[in-house]
Amino acid sequence: MSNDWEKVKEALRKQATPEAMQEAAQAFEQYRQVSLTKSSRPTLVNLGKGTGYPNAIPMDQIPDELAKNPHFFNFMKKIVTKE
Amino acid sequence: MPTAIVMSDFDLPTRSASGFLLRYIAPRVEPVQLFSILARRLPFQLSAPQSDIIIGTGHGNHTSFTGQNESVILEVGKYNPREVRGKVIKLLSCQTGVELGPDLIKNGAVAFMGYKDDYVWVMDADVALTPWADKLASTSLLPVIDGLNTLLDGKTSQEAFEIEIQGYESNAAVEEEELIKSCLKFNHDNAVLLGDTTARVRQRPKIQIPLPPPPLIIPVSGPI
Repeated sequence: MSNDWEKVKEALRKQATPEAMQEAAQAFEQYRQVSLTKSSRPTLVNLGKGTGYPNAIPMDQIPDELAKNPHFFNFMKKIVTKE
Repeated sequence: MPTAIVMSDFDLPTRSASGFLLRYIAPRVEPVQLFSILARRLPFQLSAPQSDIIIGTGHGNHTSFTGQNESVILEVGKYNPREVRGKVIKLLSCQTGVELGPDLIKNGAVAFMGYKDDYVWVMDADVALTPWADKLASTSLLPVIDGLNTLLDGKTSQEAFEIEIQGYESNAAVEEEELIKSCLKFNHDNAVLLGDTTARVRQRPKIQIPLPPPPLIIPVSGPI
């Protein structure tokens, strides 16, 4: 497991405070720049309805969404940390 | 006997999921296939009672499964039990395993396969016109397809469920991208099978590879 990914997990384990969300955004940006390069427009998608976070979000927009949307922060938290 | 297969297609996730069903499942089942604008309540009400299996992909939550533009197809307490009685149901949708799935079983469906939480994956938006060729999405969606094909081969719902679960496990074991691996594990952990684990549907003919080209898919309109 990469060090960059470990930092993403670590940041997402915290409560969704503005500081933690900013930290997760920076960690994901670092991870994104060195990974996820095998396709031209990787996009995280889900089939949720009325969730408060986007159903489709390009990887390069995930840091911004993490920094501003606590619902999306918690969505990423449950996928990445299983919490 | 027709197969009720609901494939909404109006944003990137529904395009991606429906693309795989259209490519790998639709050719081996009979009409009526409710694709795109036909993925709505009325056509479903007409076709579902005649089918032994209901397959659907669309957005969902604890209590409802939706079709095109999130029009409700099935919602707890708001459908006729005749639509689901005696059927094996697979919903590729979020959270329908929480309340809707148990409600379908209570109203006579023999088996239900769905997910207790969100269904998530990574797709390549640049191949949205040929979603079945999306290698990123295939890591999550091909296990679903393999499970459905197992069911259509005449195997039990338990065997179909295990094929899907094993698909997530084997794909996660070789996946290098940590986010994709997390998505696979998340879908694996949230997959549920309810009802009769020995339930089967009528065996459908196997399809030959290579398949003929799927129907033309038009670009997704509106916001993603």
